[in-house]
Amino acid sequence: MEYYSPTELSEAYALLSKYGDAAIPIAGSTFFMGHREELFNEVDAVINIKKLGLSYIKLEDNILKIGATTTLSEIFESGLTSQGVYKILSETVNELNIYEVRNMATIGGEVCIAGEVDMPTTLLAYDTNIVIGSNDGTRVVSMADFHIGYLNNALEVNEMVTEVQIPRPPANTGGGFRKFKRTAADLPIVSVAVRVSLGSDGACEDVRVVVGAATLSGIPQRSAAAEAVLLNQKIDEALIKQVAEASSDVECIDDFRVPAVVRSLWVKCSIEDALKKALAEAGKGE
Amino acid sequence: MIPICLKVNGEDCPVQVKAHWSLAFVLREKIGLTGTKTGCEMGTCGSCTILLDGKPIFCCLKMAVDAEGHELTTIEGIENDGVLHPLQQTFIDGHGMQCGYCTPGMIIAAKALLEGNSNPSEHEVRLAIGGHLCRCGTYVRIVKSIMDAAEIVRNT
Amino acid sequence: MTMETSVIGKSLPLLDAYEKVTGRLKFAGDMPPLQRMHHAKVLRSPYAHAKVAHIDTSAAEALSGVSAVITYKDDITGNKKTCNSPWQDFSFNFRGPMISQEVCYVGDEVAVVSAVDEDVAKEALQLIEVEYEELPAVFDMEESMKPDAPQVHPWGPNVLDPSVFEWGDIEQGFKEADYIIENRITLGNQQHAPLDRNACTAHWEGDRVSLWTSTQALFWIRDAVTEFFELSPSKVRVYSSPTGGSFGLWWGNNFMFLAIAIARKARRPVRLILTRDEVQTTVKRRERPLIDVKIGIKKDGTMVSQSFRHLMDNGAYGNKFDPYQSVADIYTTPHGRAEFIGVSTNLLPAGCMRGVGDLTLAYAIEQTVDMAAEKIDMDPVEFRLKNHWKTGDICHTSQEVLFAKLLFNKEPEVSLTSSGLAECIQKGADKMGWKEKWKGWGKPSSVDGYKIRGVGMGISTHISGLAFFGFNGITIKVNPDGTMALTTGIGRMGQGGDTTQAMVAAEVLGVELEDINVIDGDTEVVGHTMVTFGSNGMHMVARATKAAAEHAREQLLEFAAQELEANPEDLDIKHRRIFVKGSEDIGIELKELMSKPIYEYLSAPEVIGSASKGVEFHKAGKMMIADFAEVEIDTRTAQMKLIKFVAYHDSGTIVNPAICENQVAGGYYQSMGLCTTENLIFDEETGAILNPNFMDYKIMGPLDMPDPDIYFAEVYDEDGPFGAKGIGEGVTCAVPIAVANAVYNAIGVRFDLPITPEKILQALKSKVH
Repeated sequence: MEYYSPTELSEAYALLSKYGDAAIPIAGSTFFMGHREELFNEVDAVINIKKLGLSYIKLEDNILKIGATTTLSEIFESGLTSQGVYKILSETVNELNIYEVRNMATIGGEVCIAGEVDMPTTLLAYDTNIVIGSNDGTRVVSMADFHIGYLNNALEVNEMVTEVQIPRPPANTGGGFRKFKRTAADLPIVSVAVRVSLGSDGACEDVRVVVGAATLSGIPQRSAAAEAVLLNQKIDEALIKQVAEASSDVECIDDFRVPAVVRSLWVKCSIEDALKKALAEAGKGE
Repeated sequence: MIPICLKVNGEDCPVQVKAHWSLAFVLREKIGLTGTKTGCEMGTCGSCTILLDGKPIFCCLKMAVDAEGHELTTIEGIENDGVLHPLQQTFIDGHGMQCGYCTPGMIIAAKALLEGNSNPSEHEVRLAIGGHLCRCGTYVRIVKSIMDAAEIVRNT
Repeated sequence: MTMETSVIGKSLPLLDAYEKVTGRLKFAGDMPPLQRMHHAKVLRSPYAHAKVAHIDTSAAEALSGVSAVITYKDDITGNKKTCNSPWQDFSFNFRGPMISQEVCYVGDEVAVVSAVDEDVAKEALQLIEVEYEELPAVFDMEESMKPDAPQVHPWGPNVLDPSVFEWGDIEQGFKEADYIIENRITLGNQQHAPLDRNACTAHWEGDRVSLWTSTQALFWIRDAVTEFFELSPSKVRVYSSPTGGSFGLWWGNNFMFLAIAIARKARRPVRLILTRDEVQTTVKRRERPLIDVKIGIKKDGTMVSQSFRHLMDNGAYGNKFDPYQSVADIYTTPHGRAEFIGVSTNLLPAGCMRGVGDLTLAYAIEQTVDMAAEKIDMDPVEFRLKNHWKTGDICHTSQEVLFAKLLFNKEPEVSLTSSGLAECIQKGADKMGWKEKWKGWGKPSSVDGYKIRGVGMGISTHISGLAFFGFNGITIKVNPDGTMALTTGIGRMGQGGDTTQAMVAAEVLGVELEDINVIDGDTEVVGHTMVTFGSNGMHMVARATKAAAEHAREQLLEFAAQELEANPEDLDIKHRRIFVKGSEDIGIELKELMSKPIYEYLSAPEVIGSASKGVEFHKAGKMMIADFAEVEIDTRTAQMKLIKFVAYHDSGTIVNPAICENQVAGGYYQSMGLCTTENLIFDEETGAILNPNFMDYKIMGPLDMPDPDIYFAEVYDEDGPFGAKGIGEGVTCAVPIAVANAVYNAIGVRFDLPITPEKILQALKSKVH
C-alpha cells in the first residue's frame, strides 16, 4: 500500500485518476483505520488530503463554506458555527460525546460515509451542497443526491469532496437535532434533524424533517408526510404530535441492534423533541 | 518501508514504518512506549488516547505516517523530571484505578480537559472521558480523581 | 467491630499504583519481545459444527517468513486427552485436544501459524485451504437435551450428570405450604469483555517450557501444562503478568496451549495476542441459565420449601456441573431441593463469570420471592427479613458438600461463619428511603406525566473461597533495612490482591504497607497459591499470609528478645519498632535489628517467615449483599433510567475501603450492563456472534449510570483473617434482580434480562390502562 501526502490539489487529482477505485483519500482516517481489515486488501494507495488547504470555515455570499478536511472539533468551536443561524452544526457535533473522534473526524469524511454518522442528517435538513473536484474540474451535487445507498455515495473513482456549502437559511429559521443511542458512546441508532422557517404570521413557511441512522435505506431521508403536516400551519402541541405520527412514511431498519418497532418510536420522539427546539429557535428571529 | 521521524514527548524518534501501520502500533512495538494501550484497535474503548498537538486522539485510528510534524504526548511524557503530574498523583491517592489498563487513556484525556478548563463540572469531566470504557467500573473514583486534580491545578 | 489496627481498614494506595499511572506496568502484551520471537495467528472455523475433511497448509508453510503451522494432524495438539473428570480439568474451558478434527463452535481453532510478524501470519492464514463437512448443530439447551439431538462434541454426552442437593422432604414441603409459587427465568449472554486483550508468549529451551501470560490461575496452568505435555512441574515455568481485567475469563485458555505448541514446532519463542473480537467470541462467556423455581410459603410469609432446576448452557466445551452458588441456602427452609444440569450447545464455550450461580440463581429466587410476597401482600423487605439465613445455619448446597461426596464419599455438614445480612437489608432499605418510596404491590412509587418510578430489592450471597481450591504457600523475607518481600501467586486482575495481602502482613509485622514488596506470578519462585477465583483472596489466601507473617514475627521477636534481654512474649512491634510492652522506651528499630551483627553468629540475622495453609471446611464464609434500586420508566420513549442504587455489603472487616468500594462499583456497572445492553447475539442459523466487539456489545461507560451508594456492614467474621470475608464476586449478584423487581413495581411486568426498550414497549402496549 502506497502513501501520498500531496500539497497541491492537482497532485491529488492526478493520483486519484491514476489509482481509480484502488485509492482512498483520507483526512481523519477514522473510518479507514476502523475498517482496515476489510479495506487493506482493496486499497493500493492512501492519499492524505490534509495538506491541500481544505481546512476552513468561511461565510461568502450568504453561503457557509466549510473545507472538506475541517474537523468536527473545529466546527464545534468556530464562531460561525457555534452561534447564530448555523449553530445547529455545533449542536450536531455536540451529540457525539467522544472528543477524540471530534478531533479527528472531518466534515468531508462524514459526508462521504453514507451510514451511521450525524452530519449528513443535519446537512440534508439545511439544503447543503457538496463540492466535488477532480481532474475533470469541479461539480456540485446536493446532499440529497450525494448519498445513493448505504455506504455508497455519488463520487466517481477519480473524484474527491473539497467543500461543503450551506446556504443561509431564511429569517426566523430554527433547527433541532435529536439522537437516540443504546449507551452514551454509541453509533446513532436514530437521529433526526428538523429545520423550520416561520413566516411573518407565525405559520411554518418552510420545513425539513430528516431521519438518519434508522432508515431502511441506510441513508438520511426526508419525511415528506411529516413535512406536509407542518407546511403552512401554526405549530402547537397537537400539531407536533401529528407531525411525529406522520413520519411513518420513512421505513425503519430492523436489525439485531434495535428492532424497527423501537426505532420508529424513537423517530417519533426525536421529531417531537427536535421540532420543539426548532420552533423555539425560530421564534427568536435571527 | 517509509522512513519518518515522530516527535514523542519532546524527543525525535526516527523509525521505519509501513503505510498501514497505526500510530499505536508504532509507538508500542517500534518505539517501545507501551504505556499507551490498544484494547480494541477500532476506536471504541479509549485506551489508546494520546495527545496530538495537545488534543486527544485515538492513536489506533491514526496512521503512523500521518503523525509526522506533530507534537505527540503519551503517558510516559507527562511527568516532569520525575515529578508526577497532579492527575497521576490524585489517581494514586484516590484509587482512580483497579486493573490500570484504562488509566493511561483516562489520564491523558483528563490532562487535555484541564489544560482547557481548570474548573470543570463533574458532567464536563464525564464528557471528556465519554469515549473511554473502564470494565472494572471505576468511574466514580476516576471522576473524583480528575476533580481533585483540577483543584490542585487551580491552586498552583 | 472494635479491633484496633494500624494498617487494616485504611484506604491505602495500591502498591502498583505508580506503575499504573505512569504506564510502566507491563501487561502480557506489553512485555518486551524475546530474541527471535515470532508472532502467531489462529485460523478459526466459520461453522458451528463441522468436520475438517481436508486441510492443506503447504502454501502457508512455503510463505517467506512463516516458521510453523499446526493443525489437528500435529501430534502436539494432543488428540489423546479428554476432560472427563472435573478434578482434572478445573478450568471448565479447555478440552481434549487443543485442535480437533471436529470443530464445535464458530471460532473453534482449526490451525495456528507463526511468522516473523502479524502481517505475514495473517497472509499465511489466507493461504491455508480447508474443506469442511458441516455437521448438524444445536444452539438451544432444551433442544440439546432431547434424545434425538445432535451430539455437540465428540468428548461426551450433551447433558452432564445432574448435581443434586436435597434436604428435608421436598414433597412434604410443598404439601405443608399454603401457597406454591412457580416461575421460570432466563438471562441474556454476558461476556467478560475485559479491556486488555491478553497475550501468551511461549518459549521452549530444550525440554523446558516457559510461559508468560495474564491469568488468575497461575498454578492451574502450570499443572495443566505438565499434564497435557507430560512434563515434570520442574520443567514448566509460568509467569503471570497483571491483567487488564479478567472477571473469570483468563484461567487456563486454549490459546495458551496453542502458543506452547506452535513455539515448540517453530523452535522459537512465539507470542499470540488475541484481537478484540477473539477476546469476546472465542474464549468463554457467562453460562446462560434456564431456571425453574418453585417455592412454598405459609400465609404468614414463612418459607417452608424451595426447589430449583437450573440448566446451564455450557456451550461447546464448557463442562460445569455446578453453577457455583450459595444462594440456594439464603432462605432457611426445612425442605429443599436443588438440581443443576450442565448442557452443551454448539456455541461459544461458557464458564465462570463474576458472580456465577449466585447471580443466575439469585435472579430466579428473588423474582419468585417477590411473587410470593405479592401473593400475601407482604412488604418485600419484611419477607426477606423473615426468612433469611443466620450465623451458624447449615449450607445445604455448598460445593464443599459436593466435593466431599465426590472425592471421599462423605456427606459433611457445612455451616455459615457469620452473617450481616439483616443489617444489610434493614439499613439498605433505610438508605433507599424504602418506607417513603414503597407504596405497595401494584402501586408505582411515583407517577409524573410519562415517567413512572418503582423501587425493588434483591439479596444474594457468594462464597469467600472454597477449601478444595487448595493449599497456599506464602513466604515473607525481611530485608536488612526492615522492608520485606512477600511471595504469593495471587492473581492480579485489578482486585488489589497484592495490596490487601500485604496489608495483612504489614498489620501482623507492625510495619507500613509501603515496606512490603510483593513478588507475584512466577511458579518457580512463589508457593502454590489457590486459583484466584471464588473470591478466595481475603478469606482464605490471607490466612496463609497471616500465618507466614506470624512466623516471621516470631523470629523477629526472638532476635529482639536476645538484643533487649527480654522475653519474646513481652515484646510487640509497631511502626517499624520492636519494644517492651508497657515500657516502650526499651526497644529497637527493625532496621537496626536486621542490620546489627549478633555476637554468636558474627553477622546480622536473616528472617524468613513461611506458611503453607489449607482451609478446613466445615464452616463456610459467605459474603452477603442487599441491593436496592429505584428506576424510572419513560412511557413515551420506552426507556428505563436508573435513578438511585443502594448496595449494602457484608464482607466482614473491610481491609481497604477504597478497594472494596471500587469492587462494588465495578460489579454494579457490569450488572447494569447485563440488565440493559450487554447480550452476545448468536445468529439463529449459523451460531456466529453478531456483536463481537465494543461497537455492538455495549458495556457501561462514564455517562450511562448514576453513581451507586455503597455501604458496608462490618460484622466481624471469626474465621476470616482480621475478621474479613471476600467481596470480589458478590458485587454483581443482586444488582440485576433489584433493578428488575423495581421495574415490576413501576409498570407491573416481570422480565428476563436484558430489559430492552423493545421489551418495555411491548409490555406497555399490552397493559390495559
